[in-house]
Amino acid sequence: MSDSASKLLVVNDLTTTFATLGGPLTAVGNVSFDLSKNETLGIVGESGSGKTVLSRTIMGLQPRRNVTVSGSVLLNGQEIVGASEKAKRKLWGTEVAMVFQDPMTSLNPVMRVGKQIDETLRVRLGMSRADARARAIELLELVGIPSPERRYDAFPGALSGGMRQRVVIATALACSPKLLLADEPTTGLDVTIQAQILNLLDELKERLHMSVILVTHDLGVVATRTSKIVVMYAGRIVEMGSTREVFTNHRMPYTRALLDSSPKITNPSHTRLTTIPGRPPNLLNLTNGCSFAPRCAYATDRCRKERPELTPAGEPGHLFACWNPLMSNREVGVS
Amino acid sequence: MVILGNAYNPTNKALLYKQLGLNKPIIDQYFIWIGHVLHGNLGTSFISRVSVDSTIRAALPIDIELIVVSQILALAIAIPLAMRSARKPDGPVDRLLSAGSFTLLSIPPFIVVVFLVLLVSIKWGLANTGPSAYVSFGTDWIANLESLSLAAITIAIGSFTLYFRVLRSDLVATMQEEFITMARSKGLSRRRIMWRHAFRPSSVTLLGSASVNIGGLLAALFVVQYFLAIPGLGYELISAINTSDYLLVQGIVLVVSVGVVLVNFIFDFIINIVDPRISRE
Amino acid sequence: MSENYGEIVIAEYGHPQVEKPEGREPLGVLFWICVGWIGLNLIGAIFANVLPLENPLYENFTAINAAPSLHHLFGTDEIGRDIFSRVVYGSRISISAGVGSMVIGFGIGAPLGMLTAYRRGHFDTIITTVMYTLLAFPAIVATIAVLSFWVPRDLFKIIVVIGIASIPIIYRIIRAATLSVASRDFIIAAKVQGASDRRILFKELLPNVAPILVSFLIIGIATVVTLEGALAFLGLSVNPPTPSWGNMINEARSVMAQNPWLVIFPSLALCLFLLCLNFIGDRLRTHFDVAEVKI
Repeated sequence: MSDSASKLLVVNDLTTTFATLGGPLTAVGNVSFDLSKNETLGIVGESGSGKTVLSRTIMGLQPRRNVTVSGSVLLNGQEIVGASEKAKRKLWGTEVAMVFQDPMTSLNPVMRVGKQIDETLRVRLGMSRADARARAIELLELVGIPSPERRYDAFPGALSGGMRQRVVIATALACSPKLLLADEPTTGLDVTIQAQILNLLDELKERLHMSVILVTHDLGVVATRTSKIVVMYAGRIVEMGSTREVFTNHRMPYTRALLDSSPKITNPSHTRLTTIPGRPPNLLNLTNGCSFAPRCAYATDRCRKERPELTPAGEPGHLFACWNPLMSNREVGVS
Repeated sequence: MVILGNAYNPTNKALLYKQLGLNKPIIDQYFIWIGHVLHGNLGTSFISRVSVDSTIRAALPIDIELIVVSQILALAIAIPLAMRSARKPDGPVDRLLSAGSFTLLSIPPFIVVVFLVLLVSIKWGLANTGPSAYVSFGTDWIANLESLSLAAITIAIGSFTLYFRVLRSDLVATMQEEFITMARSKGLSRRRIMWRHAFRPSSVTLLGSASVNIGGLLAALFVVQYFLAIPGLGYELISAINTSDYLLVQGIVLVVSVGVVLVNFIFDFIINIVDPRISRE
Repeated sequence: MSENYGEIVIAEYGHPQVEKPEGREPLGVLFWICVGWIGLNLIGAIFANVLPLENPLYENFTAINAAPSLHHLFGTDEIGRDIFSRVVYGSRISISAGVGSMVIGFGIGAPLGMLTAYRRGHFDTIITTVMYTLLAFPAIVATIAVLSFWVPRDLFKIIVVIGIASIPIIYRIIRAATLSVASRDFIIAAKVQGASDRRILFKELLPNVAPILVSFLIIGIATVVTLEGALAFLGLSVNPPTPSWGNMINEARSVMAQNPWLVIFPSLALCLFLLCLNFIGDRLRTHFDVAEVKI
């Protein structure tokens, strides 16, 4: 591993616990990974895997009450875990920004769209009203919104879903952050719009030299747009590595199941969709063993009793957590 | 009997009845009254010989002034306190304020006013109660506000507890919404988020609660006027009841009811305009 | 007054499978203390006759305006009546007014609200229009007006008037609550399974509307007790010498300076009672996780 100084983001043993009425709930457990400049990371998992909580915790945006975070998140060398709200606020918007899933709820419904963008510019960058307005219109254009001067005065409700999400992206980019966290940015949108938005993110990433973390449940999204991925299940990382490696040489059965369950265009029509039997575990009652064991076709006794740790798989950067992993393609001689 | 005084005897009584139209069946009498009302004539009180109209017209501005002053007072204190409370829910400030407001709302306005008077007159020796003490706005506006201060404060306390609770809980709920998290992620300060982002949607609820407040407001208004002898509609109403001046009672009840209905209408109207979300539905 | 974090964590946005965390908001020690206090008041009200109290109407001219002592726990008033026993007897009026009028109000308003919300149709439209029209007029004024005519005043009349005046509001609240419950899936499922209306009403709707009903019932009692106090203060409640918390305070006005105890004790009794009642109603609401019913 190269030294942390050159990395944009270093996450080490990050754990987020919620104190609920039913007991402590570990939404994110012992997550570690890093990200370099201009890299794109994908965080993949089902609902309830903890990926949203993870992205919020990375940024330091987790709710303040009844939440404990342990571990470390170093953004450009600055520690986020345990930092004061004031210190974190300095980073928000200018160093790291987030694009939220549902643009209808993430935009203030009673405030004009343009105002929501230039608010950041005026408060954080100290721009004058006129300058901020001009820059906001520039940003609207950058994200591909037609007639930006008119749209500047619109309310979010007047825009379509895709356009709203573009506005959210524009707001996030306003102060040129170095890291963009996109939390399921396209899940609520029409399929046709999804590709547009994802392409837009790619473009912007190149143009503005940003690193991006893409959080999603959809493997199709990460396949071509990320260089590294992290697969999460029940709050823990179960496999991680370069995208190519994880797609072609995954070892953890859950990863295989995830891949299998996404429909492929190359399959003949009427192919039955494979699903993963069972449901994700209740995070309040986690067992000592591997969280995936109840649903895993390859589970052994050891899997049910002991939780597997992340172990290297051969190719540098490729880690997985499984006692009974799938056979490596390399070993069998398939490359 | 009351009117005729010493000249009361069966013949005169019959004559008087005829004159006043009291010999017609009660239903007819009622409709005649409504007819008069629609023409703007609320009748002349038998007891005081003053037209109901003028009594009401003299008393109404006082009520309006009391309502306006007390509500402004209540809001001026409730809004900043609720914002402060909602900024750190369940924090020490919030707990104190919420507990305090809860306790206050369990103290009915008539008790508040009694104790306030006790406090003021005994501890500080001020005695500005009684109908002679009330000074109308036109003559001396400073003395006017002074004489109404105790009443306004009492009413304000009751309204404050409602506004505070409603606004605080609505703010806390609004703060959970996604767009607030997004505003946070832009690096905006909590204070700015509360005032610029959270307050606007929550103010709609505040408006809504204002119309709910009217019931309690009226009760407090009447009680306070009666106790402090401020000649508003409440005072007139209770006096009218005590002197069996039914015509005046009818008139006041009518005016107040119409007033309340009107105010509710206006509030609903304003709410529909202010919140673009509702009008879209 | 706190949120459910289980929902925030487990519900991934866009996937509306919200799981309720196990366990409910605990009621707390303070809750039970308040219940105890209310219980005490109730016992006092019901058993006032058999308790070792001075006669509340007995005028003992040898002890006028006495300060609190062992013999007269709260002291005496200006004509020598024992304040403590008057306060206890006074609770009868206030509590009966509260409970009695709510029995009438909920007895009529609640079933009507539930039925119309469930059945809908013409019946619903007519009654709801009538109720909402009645709601537009301030109940306080109407109550005062009616009570001013209907003399001589006694407890029964007060209970009836306040009870009837409260019907529109109760109707609206229960109807709104039933509407929101009835639109939930399990009701539709029951209907589809062929359950009779009566069965649905009692077995499915009622248990779900009950928590809201109980919370508002308690808050309603507190409101009526306050109202009776205010009416008594205005001289529109039961006539003296019958003690009620409200008219005790009213009578004490003129002698406040000389004998503050006259005002303090009934006020304290009333306020504490209201405080505990409000607290209980509020805690029940958060315990059953009843959201503010959007009216």
